[in-house]
Amino acid sequence: MSDTLVKMTGVGKSFSGVSVLRNVNFTLQAGEVHVLAGENGAGKSTLIKILSGVHNEFTGTMEVFGKAVRFASPLEASRTGISVIHQEMSLIPQMDVVDNIFLGRELRHRPWRVDRAAQERETRRLLARLGLDINLRKPVEEYPMPVRQRIEIAKALAFEARVFIMDEPTSAIPEADVARLFDIIRQLRREGFGIVYISHKMEEIYTIADRITVLRNGEWVGTAAATDMPERDLVKRMVGRELDSRFPPRLGTVGTEPRLAVRNFSLRDPDNGDRRLVRDVSFTVNRGEIVGISGLQGSGNSELLNALFGSYGSLATGTVELDGTVISPPAPGKSIAAGLALLTNDRKASGLVPDASIVNNISLASLRRMSSRSWVNAKKEMEAAERQRRSLRIRLRSLGQPIATLSGGNQQKTLLGRWLETGPKVLLLDEPTRGVDVGAKFEIYDLMNQLTAAGLAIVLITSELPELLAMADRILVMHRGGITAEFSRENATQENIVHAAMGA
Amino acid sequence: MTTPDSTPAEAADVGDAAAVPAGDGGGDDAPRSLVRDLLGKAWVRAFLALVIILVIGCVFNAGGTFFRWSAHRDMLRQSSVYGILACGMTMVIITGGIDLGVGSVLAAVGVPYSLLMMTYGGSAVWVVPLCLCIGTVCGVWNGFLIGRFRFQAFIATLAMMTFARGFAKYISGGRKVMNASYNPDGTFVYNTTFPEFTEWLNSRVLGNNLAVVTIIMLSCMFVTYLVLGKLTWGRYIYSVGGNEEAARLSGVPVLTTKMLAYGMSGLFCAVAGICQAAQEYQGDPEAGTGYELTAIGMVVIGGTSLAGGRGAIGLTLIGVLTMGYLEKILSLNAVQESSRLMLTAAIIVIAVLFQSSRRK
Amino acid sequence: MRILNALLCAVLVCAVVGTVDAGEKKWRVGFSQCNLGEPWRANMYEELMREVAKYPDDIELIHKDAQNDTARQQAQLREFINDYEAGNLDIILVSPKESAPFTPIVSEAYRAGCPIFVIDREILTDDYTLFIGGDNIVIGRAAGEWLKSKFDGKGAKAVELRGLSTVSGAQERNAGFREGIRGSDIEIIFDADMKWLEPEARREMESALTRFDKIDFVYAHNDPGAHGAYLAAKAAGRDKEMMFVGVDGLPHEGVAYVKQGVLDATFLYPSGMDIAIENVMKLKRGEKVPKRIMLATKVFDKDNPDGKDIGEPVLKW
Repeated sequence: MSDTLVKMTGVGKSFSGVSVLRNVNFTLQAGEVHVLAGENGAGKSTLIKILSGVHNEFTGTMEVFGKAVRFASPLEASRTGISVIHQEMSLIPQMDVVDNIFLGRELRHRPWRVDRAAQERETRRLLARLGLDINLRKPVEEYPMPVRQRIEIAKALAFEARVFIMDEPTSAIPEADVARLFDIIRQLRREGFGIVYISHKMEEIYTIADRITVLRNGEWVGTAAATDMPERDLVKRMVGRELDSRFPPRLGTVGTEPRLAVRNFSLRDPDNGDRRLVRDVSFTVNRGEIVGISGLQGSGNSELLNALFGSYGSLATGTVELDGTVISPPAPGKSIAAGLALLTNDRKASGLVPDASIVNNISLASLRRMSSRSWVNAKKEMEAAERQRRSLRIRLRSLGQPIATLSGGNQQKTLLGRWLETGPKVLLLDEPTRGVDVGAKFEIYDLMNQLTAAGLAIVLITSELPELLAMADRILVMHRGGITAEFSRENATQENIVHAAMGA
Repeated sequence: MTTPDSTPAEAADVGDAAAVPAGDGGGDDAPRSLVRDLLGKAWVRAFLALVIILVIGCVFNAGGTFFRWSAHRDMLRQSSVYGILACGMTMVIITGGIDLGVGSVLAAVGVPYSLLMMTYGGSAVWVVPLCLCIGTVCGVWNGFLIGRFRFQAFIATLAMMTFARGFAKYISGGRKVMNASYNPDGTFVYNTTFPEFTEWLNSRVLGNNLAVVTIIMLSCMFVTYLVLGKLTWGRYIYSVGGNEEAARLSGVPVLTTKMLAYGMSGLFCAVAGICQAAQEYQGDPEAGTGYELTAIGMVVIGGTSLAGGRGAIGLTLIGVLTMGYLEKILSLNAVQESSRLMLTAAIIVIAVLFQSSRRK
Repeated sequence: MRILNALLCAVLVCAVVGTVDAGEKKWRVGFSQCNLGEPWRANMYEELMREVAKYPDDIELIHKDAQNDTARQQAQLREFINDYEAGNLDIILVSPKESAPFTPIVSEAYRAGCPIFVIDREILTDDYTLFIGGDNIVIGRAAGEWLKSKFDGKGAKAVELRGLSTVSGAQERNAGFREGIRGSDIEIIFDADMKWLEPEARREMESALTRFDKIDFVYAHNDPGAHGAYLAAKAAGRDKEMMFVGVDGLPHEGVAYVKQGVLDATFLYPSGMDIAIENVMKLKRGEKVPKRIMLATKVFDKDNPDGKDIGEPVLKW
């Protein structure tokens, strides 16, 4: 049996006369996982914002649980039974688990008294359904992301949600926990909930989807059962034309002389001086080579990249050699001058200067070169930005617009532009394609090929194994701060990487 | 191999990235017009508030007084000390901080200036640089605490606010430093001639049409414009306020940048302190009480965001003029204090509403 | 030898008079000042010290500054009452920060038998020994009359710069002044608040100067206000055109301005410390003191650079 939870017919939406969504049809049945696919900017977010009550002005009709509705606010939507599991979690970090789950709808025995015991019982019951048994009185910030995500789902259950909207739920959690999340999603599906699922990752889509709806440029392109829409077909619909493959062929030849040599590199934990996040790591990266560093969350791979760049200052020990020159002491300014560049894994937190223009974002790391005696040469700066815009094909209205107004892919390309403008010898890329749509991903891969062909060396971290396998010439696997395995391109497989990453 | 040339419609960015300001209010489907585009610009919105004030001034012109140049000249003079403070405040606020100490540092500079110039008959040649140093040191110290020890700007500058006021009272003995020479037996004689430099600061130029302090304010704004707009340090200030971590990882010397921003604020406090003392012909240890809030108000009314990373000195100038004209119009019409307070509050709210109308 | 004599005498007197030895013992005087931050209060403190120094053998002063904190001042009074009850204090002088919050505790001290003088700000009951205060109406009137004597019949145009029209002190200085010029042809053409502050006064005066081409005098509710008005007029090159009159008459402020020739007159708002200490001594000698003393004012002008009394203190028994 399948009853319809949500039915949106002919939905359209425009901002200031610019239409971003046109005539979209979308239905969600009880007990199905319905994937919304499309590039960034295709209108997925707008659609779910309409469904979840963020946007309340739109054309067309929306029926929820058989009744025509138009939510006045997100609160009304969640009261009706539609919950969004956010990409960035909406829990309050300093509050404990119980309080978070019941925030805004506390159980009370009198109007002014919260019934904490009842809340705790209810929380325990909800979390048990999700296979979680944790201390409920600890602040949620003390739990890792996957646990927080499940708390967030429990919160939605407590709100008696019947429709879950999950916007890239796996982007915030490590690979190893994805399977468990999927188990939960399957369980919710069995129990008759409807799930709207947004993802850019092909593997996920085909693991979990019952049906897929594709949007492109704000238009509905098609809806089909996952089994009726093979990957190639899906990508074609998303980008509007045929893509040979998701990855370009790895081009270029790997040189023999090492550009980056790391010896006996360790990093002490800033929060706990006795612990080491990275232990005695040594490796080299040659001219034109892409070395992938794989590892689960907490394995230390991301910290290694940051420490190499100098983000942790003197907490890092060991030798970092760039073309035979030792960088010391470690500091971002010195690393940049020596030819090292780091694209961090969190654009928002450590990459973008959101209100600053694209020009200023691109020039930020190489401003010294574009100025004489502290006076910025605006012409040089503009030339640099224009150069990067052209070579990276950043799509924008004007170079002067704030970077925050760009789509995720274009933001990422702008940040890459910032680092390429410093004239790096070695690029450290930490999740360069996170939150980037398929088309832009392809362009970034392409760029990596071009850069290595020009002699750069790249260190790549990515949680998407297919990406790692497709792009890396050599893969190092880290576990608990140390390198535990090394695979050449030829003998690396998903299985043996995951195996090594788990410490086996 | 094909390179995908995916073109997510530019406009669609507006939708998918709705969390960020896209230049308009969103939500309604009215066609984009010139007016809307203009309203998207911060300076236009800031200007709007000023225009409204000027219209009010033209209506309530106090028997034509508002149309005399001297009214505008005096308004500029009155706003100058605030405007000078607002220069440093703009920089500090763009770094994402705040400087509560400006009013007290003003007094902590004004008192020694008066003491050295008038009581001890010092020469401006060394007294002025020394006074500027006092202010700068106060500011750099703030920046050091905030940048090196991660003090919250509010707390560090609150401490400076308290300390500098105490310092001013300590060296003045709690009373106004006046133009007097003291005899060994404790008696004193008042002088009726004032140091030349003090007289010059309190005079007017350009055919008696502009106060010297106004020229000084405009110069301070120009210096601020150069630092913020033309120097690498300006970029660093914006980037530290916009995203400190991103700035640090891009090789920006965050600590130095903060020390510079707060140091400049201290320097401008010193300039303002000297101007204030010269205009009063005395060093008042209570001078500048509450000025920090006026300066912050002027910066914010102009459209510089308290969240940091966004703003400009040109906006601050508009903010200074808006507040200055408001005060002047109320004063010309001899409006009662109670009504003044309420009207000022209303203008602040309206001006900031203009500023925030684009963001939802 | 003389010391011995004196000692003997003292012992004899004690033996004869018994406990009535008030005349011989040094009195411990507790003074609670609401704050020392403002110039007027600082001057009050200086005058207090000067008066106390006149009686080194009779008075020992314990001075406490409440730093503008009501709770702190209440605690100080509480300590004084305890000291009195323990026999370590003889009289309390208090210049309260506010009226209402201090009414009960002053009353308590009074009922416990402790002599208590309330200075400058009244409390809400009559439970005190003596109230000493200035009278802003009297001062305003004195200023008004002084100006009337200079300008009556000349059709003078005047500016009044008020302290803060919502504060009683300023309201009284305004009312007294208007009373003083009543019947003359003086016309107030500009009347504005300057919040007791010099820069504000300068701004208001600039507005007045722009608006009016002829101004004959400025009456400001305090001396900094008058000084600010003078600076505005001087900048406009019009300081010779008019007179500047202020109120407060502090030695380092208004009186100094008069001596400098900046202000034409200032009217004293007296601290009353001389009278307070005089009455402490009277009480110590066992004489009767009045219930209220409303202080008179003084004018400082070109003819009287060191001040001339206007009227007499008004006593109420």
